[in-house]
Amino acid sequence: MYQWLDDRLSIGKLYAKAFRKAFPVHHSFFLGEITLFSFVTLVLTGIFLTLNYEPSIRPVSGSLSGGQEVPAAYYSILYIDSLPFGAVIRSLHHWAAHIMIAAAFLHMLRIHLTGAYKNPRELNWIVGVFLLVLAIITAFTGYALPFDNYALTATKIGYEIGAAAPWVGKLLSNILFAGELSPTNTQTIPRLYPIHVLWLPLALIGLIGAHLAIMIKQKHTQPKYAEKVAPGKIVGVPLFPQQAAMMGILFLVYIAVTTFIAGAFLAHPVQAFGPPTANTPPVKPDWYFMWIYGILQIIPANWRFEFLGATFGPQFWGGILVPTVIILGALAIPFLDYSKHKQRYLELPSQHPFRTSFVVGMLMFYIMSTLAGYKVDLGLSNGLLWVLVFIVPIVTGVVCYIIMKAIYGKDWNQEVEVRITGKGSAADD
Amino acid sequence: MADHEATAHHHEHHPEDPQAHATRRAILQAAIGVSAGAAVLSTLWVGAGLVPREEKVPSKEPVAVGDTLVFATGPKADQEITLDDLRAAQQEKIPFIIAFPKSPENVVKKDLITNTIMVILADPNKMSPETRQYASPEGVLAYSAVCKHLGCTVSQWQNDTWLCPCHGGRYDIYNQAKVVGGPVPAPVPQLPVKVEGGKVVVAGEFLGEPGADV
Repeated sequence: MYQWLDDRLSIGKLYAKAFRKAFPVHHSFFLGEITLFSFVTLVLTGIFLTLNYEPSIRPVSGSLSGGQEVPAAYYSILYIDSLPFGAVIRSLHHWAAHIMIAAAFLHMLRIHLTGAYKNPRELNWIVGVFLLVLAIITAFTGYALPFDNYALTATKIGYEIGAAAPWVGKLLSNILFAGELSPTNTQTIPRLYPIHVLWLPLALIGLIGAHLAIMIKQKHTQPKYAEKVAPGKIVGVPLFPQQAAMMGILFLVYIAVTTFIAGAFLAHPVQAFGPPTANTPPVKPDWYFMWIYGILQIIPANWRFEFLGATFGPQFWGGILVPTVIILGALAIPFLDYSKHKQRYLELPSQHPFRTSFVVGMLMFYIMSTLAGYKVDLGLSNGLLWVLVFIVPIVTGVVCYIIMKAIYGKDWNQEVEVRITGKGSAADD
Repeated sequence: MADHEATAHHHEHHPEDPQAHATRRAILQAAIGVSAGAAVLSTLWVGAGLVPREEKVPSKEPVAVGDTLVFATGPKADQEITLDDLRAAQQEKIPFIIAFPKSPENVVKKDLITNTIMVILADPNKMSPETRQYASPEGVLAYSAVCKHLGCTVSQWQNDTWLCPCHGGRYDIYNQAKVVGGPVPAPVPQLPVKVEGGKVVVAGEFLGEPGADV
């Protein structure tokens, strides 16, 4: 059997060439893999969901809705929830999306903190930034599909933020949502559905493919210790069987943990919100939008002017400008902090205090603007929140830099020597 | 330098007019440019089909003078709102009613988002003179319920102010929906109303542009 396949496919050669490829090992290298596993899980659970979902809001009634007339999309969610483990699969889809975005974000942090975006990997950093943005957009286009009141309200906010983009916003929002988003617009769901289940996932697959191909072509960065162990060589384990076994185990652990979460915390109970009405329930965005939500809450209402027929208001500053600046900033990082020679080894965060402090400051900005999302609930004043969102992150970065300079600023070897002499002199006494 | 030599060579073997060469190149470039432009234009032409077509249906007509207000949600949805309903609402946690206009031809105009209206029975003595002018003598007051910020329905009530649950915008209903909190760029427009035969009737157009201010 093996001989038969080998004759035709030259498995032996493939094995020697591809399967023995060395994979550098570090715990943090698995974050990208967890992102990939999440995507696989989303596709698999997504297949189950698409086969049972009806992308329409035509009114239907049946036993599941207690005879009440509800939109077909909403009804099909009730139907999915009534299938064996249907609600768990739906929750798994929900939580896997959260984990994918979180893992991608942490993966990006790891790359940033270790300087892995430097020459020659600038291109893959850019692909990665687009992947994160695309993953978030894909998640957002899935919000409205259950077509309950909560889902529609959350999507409506996105619609209006999109519409706040100068000049073209309204047009783009109307194209994406097939007109104004409302409980009675029959075209919205048939338009969002193929975007969410077909076109954006295809774009994600393409970008993921490019991301991996570039990574294989350029070779993965190696941990710092590899430079001492075997300079100029790749220190790692072969793809098969060692790396494959680790990935397989990690995937099973991932599925187990995510399924446990999905079983324990059923996502988005549509019955609790009911079909869309003219009324708006109190909505809170998901954690990856909460920081934008927070910024939207603290921008003063009178910050608006008109220019060439476009309105630049609070929605534009908070919802469009701030995220755009952050995305452009992320894209610019490998060109602001670059190296002339090709990087093979990761840099230690401790040896790059400015970059590390910058990342810590940005994390603080994320945490504080997320806190601003709870402005009404916690009764926080705008003045306080402005200090927390814009001043505290800068102070955090500066303090972090000073502390890092104090601890890591001196040469390690020298410090060790000093300690030894100190000991020696103490013994002499 | 090498280029120059090559050109010289070229001339020796083909005593062709260099002008003709340049013209041929220009024609090719123009042809490619025109084709690319035509391709982009036709793509845009086809892509324009993605912009949804606006359909004129009675349920999408804007609110008009003479419309009555009906319940937008709840068990009484589509039923006309009476003064008694508004009195009953005063006892509730949320003392107002979200409404749609219904035309004299009995069409509930619920398919236009900006037709979402809040109606409340309030103490006329607490209202500013401008507000009172467009309220009914009984104190029936109506506003566009579509938040000026990002288009949510302003559906909550807290400490005698009208609160949008999405981003914490607050409106003072006694003072022409003046913004008293949150990121809202402008007040929602008031809708002049009167009471006829116990029912709430629209007495004028919105005093401003309804809908999110983007």
